[in-house]
Amino acid sequence: MKVALFVPCYVDQFYPQVGIATYQLLGKLGLQAAFPAAQTCCGQPLANSGCEREALPIYRHFVDTFHTYDYTVVPSGSCVYHVQKHFDKLEQTPAVQHVRATTIDLIDFITNILEIKELPGTYPHKVGLHLSCHGQRGLHQANESEMTPVRDGQLRRLLAGLDGIELTELDRNDECCGFGGTFCVSEAAISGRMGHDRVQDHLRNGTQVLTGGDMSCLMHLQGIVRRQKLPMRVLHAAEILNGLTP
Amino acid sequence: MSYLTHASRAEAFTLDHERTSWHDETLWFVRQKRDKAVYAVPEFQELRNLASAIKDHTLSRLDEYLAQFEAAAQANGVRVHWAANAAEHNAIVLDIIRARGATRVVKSKSMLTEECHLNPYLIKEGIEVIDTDLGERIIQMRDEPPSHIVLPAIHLKKEDVGATFFKHLGTAEGLTDPQQLTEAARQHLRAKFLAGEVALTGVNFAIAETGSVVVCTNEGNADLGASLAPVHVASMGIEKLVPRLSDLGVFTRLLARSATGQPVTTYTSHYTKPVEGREMHIIIVDNGRTQQLGRPDFRASLKCIRCGACMNTCPVYRRSGGHSYDFTVPGPIGSILSPNIDLKKHSTLPFASTLCGSCTDVCPVKIDIHVQLYKWRQIVSEANHLPTAKKLGLKFMGRLLASPTAFKVSGMLGRKGLRLLPYGLTHNKTVNAWAIARELPEPPKQSFREWYAQQAQPAT
Amino acid sequence: MSTARDRILAAARANKPAETPLPTVPDFWGDNSLERFSTVLASIGGEVAQLASLSDLETTVHKLWPEAKLIASSLFTPTLRIDQHTPTDVLADVDLAVLPVELGVAENGAVWLPEANMLHRALPTVTQHLALVLDERCLVATMHQAYARLPDGPGGYGMFVAGPSKTADIEQSLVIGAHGARSLVVLVY
Repeated sequence: MKVALFVPCYVDQFYPQVGIATYQLLGKLGLQAAFPAAQTCCGQPLANSGCEREALPIYRHFVDTFHTYDYTVVPSGSCVYHVQKHFDKLEQTPAVQHVRATTIDLIDFITNILEIKELPGTYPHKVGLHLSCHGQRGLHQANESEMTPVRDGQLRRLLAGLDGIELTELDRNDECCGFGGTFCVSEAAISGRMGHDRVQDHLRNGTQVLTGGDMSCLMHLQGIVRRQKLPMRVLHAAEILNGLTP
Repeated sequence: MSYLTHASRAEAFTLDHERTSWHDETLWFVRQKRDKAVYAVPEFQELRNLASAIKDHTLSRLDEYLAQFEAAAQANGVRVHWAANAAEHNAIVLDIIRARGATRVVKSKSMLTEECHLNPYLIKEGIEVIDTDLGERIIQMRDEPPSHIVLPAIHLKKEDVGATFFKHLGTAEGLTDPQQLTEAARQHLRAKFLAGEVALTGVNFAIAETGSVVVCTNEGNADLGASLAPVHVASMGIEKLVPRLSDLGVFTRLLARSATGQPVTTYTSHYTKPVEGREMHIIIVDNGRTQQLGRPDFRASLKCIRCGACMNTCPVYRRSGGHSYDFTVPGPIGSILSPNIDLKKHSTLPFASTLCGSCTDVCPVKIDIHVQLYKWRQIVSEANHLPTAKKLGLKFMGRLLASPTAFKVSGMLGRKGLRLLPYGLTHNKTVNAWAIARELPEPPKQSFREWYAQQAQPAT
Repeated sequence: MSTARDRILAAARANKPAETPLPTVPDFWGDNSLERFSTVLASIGGEVAQLASLSDLETTVHKLWPEAKLIASSLFTPTLRIDQHTPTDVLADVDLAVLPVELGVAENGAVWLPEANMLHRALPTVTQHLALVLDERCLVATMHQAYARLPDGPGGYGMFVAGPSKTADIEQSLVIGAHGARSLVVLVY
């Protein structure tokens, strides 16, 4: 299986450890991922700001970069959702269709393509799981409180299988954190308030390590945790899963 | 002409931290009641599919159903009027009132008449218009617009209501007990109902096959008004139609559960024929709806049954309040309806969302609200209503991100810049909106691509 | 000059999408027990009272509402006669209305009250208290079945009534007795 790694721009620059963890985790699962150096961005920041037309060259560049791989694995559900959902604006050539169908979130890839339902390891911490809206509601990686009271999802299951771990039960299981791409600066007051409330829910319910599958939400939440000097670590799920000692 | 942005009004709302918490929690409580009611109905998701399909079908034959409805209503002895816009609607209402020589009007909740700004129009013409829904009466006394389509006074605390009733109804100063405040309103409004000459109501559903209109309330105010006054005028948007009486089985199961978590509204009233010697009028209003019908990406917004669930679930609405939208219908649904009415004025509303998608998932008729928000953003941008600096920045970003070399250099500059620039500059809250509530990420020494380049190159 | 009607219909015709099918709504069945109906009605502020038989109605009413002076009913000799010509000021004094309903819906505690059973259209909402008389055999599970069984379609006017008048417009605090009846009892026989 020929697998490429897409590392979102802000992860590349600010959270290289998340890219490294993803790369190494795939290695432990027997896959040598390639990192095509020409990659840039999925175009979402522009498109969500209303500049979909200006984003089209970025979409084409993404397809050119990744269409020769069986899967393009991304440690961010939001970028994946954008490629799957919004690359419909491109002419649907076989390359475009292939990229849309095979660009996949890391956790999705592990549980559904590699069909790994459990990773051996110990993680003796109280872990709060932040569900990214694009991963949960967009890619259906977790149950939605709008539909069912049952809290379930693929990352939740992977984490719950670890020895010694305790998952935080939040008051609001799947409320948006307020990042929202450019929303975080164009609606800074509401974005900050939403993030504050999200972090407080974790704090109130005992989260020691805040994690999730999407670094963009976590970047925003980490910024608030650090500003408020809260006793909480923020880690991408790949970092936890890669750091396990079986 | 420049307009205040949603962001600026929202920011003003959030300045009162405690009140924002209270507003958020009050509406979240409604969302939780909705969840409980929804989980208890095993076929709820199937009902959403059915409701969506019935509304889609109705829109696809809207002209025929409108004609069928009109003919059936006329055969029932109802006078049917048509209004292309708000001004025509208001003039028709006034004509009906004047023809009876009436001056006292009692009105139950109708977002359409709110949209048409009927009250100020009638009041200017010397007509006494009394809103009879408790929440609406409260905000009418305060001369405020509703902040929610189902819970119009949800932005007010009981102390605010107590002060308003002290001023307008002469209740005891400092009275804050909801039971006693409601009783005071009951006594006050009973007198208005008994004296009403013309009753105005909205319409929740209109049935094409029978010519009936259905009005749903909990308080009973629509029925008291319409059954006591000699004239009943029901105002409806063209999108209120359903084909068959039996379709109401689907919609009445969805509406109240989605709105407030009740299994059904207290009164689901079907008005088909006037009592002999009395009058019933129905005004069918377009006011931009046929235009929205002609927009393939946005016509699904016409399926809305005005339950308000998207407001209760919206994390932005809950923390910014209904008035921050400055449109008759606030919240996510308002943000996709308003650009159709005035794109420039409401250009910031499609951006008042994180696109989290919760609105779409609670919508009982499955309107793809967050998808339409995304699409309106494209139209706002194409129409050049984005702030100039933002647009220029995004265009530059587009060129940058399509070019790997330029991208690498700029990323490095950004990361290094964060390390080299003085903290005071990167954390200046007027320069950098990010830094108002959050720390910037700590810039690492090496990017991922730099780290990767140092690894043994894998065979590809 | 074309009328607003013609312009609206023409615009709807021109702008409507390609026709999509009208779905058939299945009968979802469900629980139509009195127990379910009673539980749901209690949860929305109403109450069920058992009636041994219809002939016990008048004595039961006097027992349950000893304070009620002006009682309107079509089911026994009332203390106040109401018909569709009764003036408003007389209607305003009714303490209790006792009226027959055609069916009850177990999923939501609603009952169908058609105009023919109301004496006056305003009576069910203007009365201070409301008692509705239901034959237990007329319970259905859901609103689908209820609409399928309306004896005379929607009639000239008719309402599903589910519990007493209520509001939560002040800080979401539930208050029973907004404008309509302050209490609702369904007398089941």
